[in-house]
Amino acid sequence: MKKYILFLAIAMFSLNACDEIPPKVTGSMGGPVEPNPVEDQKRQVIIEEFTGVRCVQCPAGSAFIQDLLAIHGEQLVAVSIHAGDFSPPYSASQYDFRTEEGDQLLSYLNEPFGYPSASVDRKLFPGKSSLQLGQGDWAGSIASELEIAPKVRIAIEPSFDAGTRKLTADVTLYIDQAISDADVRLSIMLTESEIHDLQLKPGSSSPVPDYTHRHVLRDMLTSYSGDPITETLSQGAEISKSYNFTMPAEWKEENVEIVAIVSLAGASKEVLQAHQVHVVE
Amino acid sequence: MISKYWLPILIMTILVQTVTAQDAENEQTTTTNQGRLSGNLQLNGNFFMRDSSIGAANTPQYDRQLFGADSWLNLNYQNWGFDMGIRFDMFNNSNLLNPTDSYSALGIGRWYISKKINKLGITAGYIYDIIGSGIIFRAYEERPLAIDQALYGVRLTYDIADNWTIKGFTGRQKKQFDTYGSVLRGAAIDGFFASDSSGVTLAPGFGVVGRTLDDGSMNNLVATLNTYAKSDIFTPKYNTYAFSAYNTLTAGPISWYLEGAYKTADAFVDPFKERITVSGDTIVGRYVQGKGSVLYTSISYAKSGLGLTLEGKRTENFDFRSSPQETAVRGLLHYIPPMTRVNTYRLLARYAAATQFVGEQAFQVDASYAVNKKLNLTANFSNITNLDGDQLYREIFTEIYYKYHRKWTLTTGVQLQQYNQEVYYGKPEAPLLETVTPYFDFLYKFNPKTSIRLESQYMNMSKEHGVRSDYGNWVFGLAEFTLAPHWAVTVSDMFNIDPGKLSPVDASTGKQEKIHYPRFDIYYTHHANRFSVSYVKQVEGIVCSGGICRLEPAFSGVKMSVNSTF
Repeated sequence: MKKYILFLAIAMFSLNACDEIPPKVTGSMGGPVEPNPVEDQKRQVIIEEFTGVRCVQCPAGSAFIQDLLAIHGEQLVAVSIHAGDFSPPYSASQYDFRTEEGDQLLSYLNEPFGYPSASVDRKLFPGKSSLQLGQGDWAGSIASELEIAPKVRIAIEPSFDAGTRKLTADVTLYIDQAISDADVRLSIMLTESEIHDLQLKPGSSSPVPDYTHRHVLRDMLTSYSGDPITETLSQGAEISKSYNFTMPAEWKEENVEIVAIVSLAGASKEVLQAHQVHVVE
Repeated sequence: MISKYWLPILIMTILVQTVTAQDAENEQTTTTNQGRLSGNLQLNGNFFMRDSSIGAANTPQYDRQLFGADSWLNLNYQNWGFDMGIRFDMFNNSNLLNPTDSYSALGIGRWYISKKINKLGITAGYIYDIIGSGIIFRAYEERPLAIDQALYGVRLTYDIADNWTIKGFTGRQKKQFDTYGSVLRGAAIDGFFASDSSGVTLAPGFGVVGRTLDDGSMNNLVATLNTYAKSDIFTPKYNTYAFSAYNTLTAGPISWYLEGAYKTADAFVDPFKERITVSGDTIVGRYVQGKGSVLYTSISYAKSGLGLTLEGKRTENFDFRSSPQETAVRGLLHYIPPMTRVNTYRLLARYAAATQFVGEQAFQVDASYAVNKKLNLTANFSNITNLDGDQLYREIFTEIYYKYHRKWTLTTGVQLQQYNQEVYYGKPEAPLLETVTPYFDFLYKFNPKTSIRLESQYMNMSKEHGVRSDYGNWVFGLAEFTLAPHWAVTVSDMFNIDPGKLSPVDASTGKQEKIHYPRFDIYYTHHANRFSVSYVKQVEGIVCSGGICRLEPAFSGVKMSVNSTF
């Protein structure tokens, strides 16, 4: 009998040796965040959310991204990519948010296990088998990426002619740490916010007509995976590029943002730095 | 690299040496028994043929890869009082892990070594095991869904008395060719009593499992909670424990299984809980922390041709995973028995009720009566609601089986279903699907080796606002010709005879298309080897294996498989 009691005692002890010290949870500390000027630019992380107007759970993901933006401010750059099975517009939709580059990015960054899904800095995080992350992984992945100092700073100087609707984006990369990777690329995306159109949401089998779509990928000024940077990326180097684009009339320039990311291509697609500016301040 | 694989390499070396030794002995016609080597191979190859009209498109396999394969080669060896085994797993352009993506990896998927030393049993490696019916812990694999919940660790068992065994284990859960970070430990005691006089037997047991969240999972969880409004936050626990007490009582024709399980506070996603975001939006689905419970019972009676089974289950907050970030079928530490009939006919199995971990109450009655040697009647009723009483699933199933000498058999009946699209498909405000599906299965034997089997089902679907729900009405027909013991050929077609809301639309006419989903299979069996080649067009649907379900996209292409046991 004694040995059974011993077994039991060992089992119970191993299950609950002592009380744990809990983690500290603060809840949202949102509010104004500091600007991130290029001279002293901190790490800026990109979250590329894959969504669709027929995806009933995606508004929850987009709302969550707004919460994350409220916390991280300019250190987080959001892009909503309409691609995949839930992205075809309704017959009554005003816009088709799908883009060729969006479809290519969906394939490039792995097909999601479910929607909403997002890639954070296009990084394969420890313990994950895909670049696509479920909503539960977004906040933690962003927090861990923000702890990494940027090797490169990005400046974007936009100019827009309302008459001709010609947009020019002058992009300068400041290399703070030498980058020896063989294939480094620069991607330029155009996103638009405050677009009111149909979106399926919980609570109704019909799409709501006036949903506010934010950070929608509208076009890219480079290839979907970025254009290769052929210059030497030694410490202290400055690399300048210029891009031109004629903005379609249906876009509202005051809601359009230019997003630039420097990323690797190849086995790792990791983003080294992201940056975003409004076309019209 | 070498250090990670030294034990599998050792096991492989022993296996190779053993085979070599056996081959040498065979050549010398020596009969010395060196042990027992056994194994099996499963190989599946898929050739993907893009068909946009049914949605078999826009995945890497259809767009560019065109071919994918999965394989498992399992070798087991017993000698010197040891059991050991090793399994080679291969996934190339596989759509098993994520049906819409491509997964490629290969390597040692499992190894284990086990030894019994008197009353003490020792096992190390990748271990499959279960406590009770699996409600608090089940380490198992379901290959069709890429589930491999093996425990990578150590297990000890000890025979503490006649018919009484205690076991304890610790390790981490397997995740493809890696493991989750969370640490598991558990223990169980299982016994057996038999009364000589009354014929009553008892098989009681008690188990407990503990899980310590890894820092990565906890940091992710805390980072997410730190985006929530203060009214929605909680302090998550690193350590969660699940307890279970269970017993099987048998008395003559009656067998009664009862299990009660309890889980301490644990963080999980409640897909129906609302929260207000900081920016003022209301969204559905958030982390909550709660204690969980499951009560499950099954009573069966079998005597004089009558078989009765009554099952009941109540589940509340019992989503127990290696990491709270995991969803769907991933990272589950346990298995909650389904409370519905496992249907095998194509249309009858189309709408399956996946277990709801957050809350469900369910019961099922199954009755079978053999009128005589020729005639058997079966009826089944299952009902599932959530904890608020909202209907999730209901099925009424009847079956008449008639056997005419050894010449032919007829199986026929009807199935009625109600299916909650909002919960199982995530379609907001969608009404319950209601189906009526009569079916028959006729087997005719020309002679003991040659037979033909004809099967047909017709599914009638309810309407929403004048339009048939989901994919609408279906008719299915199958003919199977068997030339025992080697050959079987089947040809079947599933036809969307009256398309519904979700049926693919013809771009030129703008109307839902009546699409055929044909299938053609050839099976060849030789001793323990089975080969098959199939041409398949398959509509999207819910695919379940062992009570676990997931949405499976459409398939178009050729499937080949080899199964071999040796």
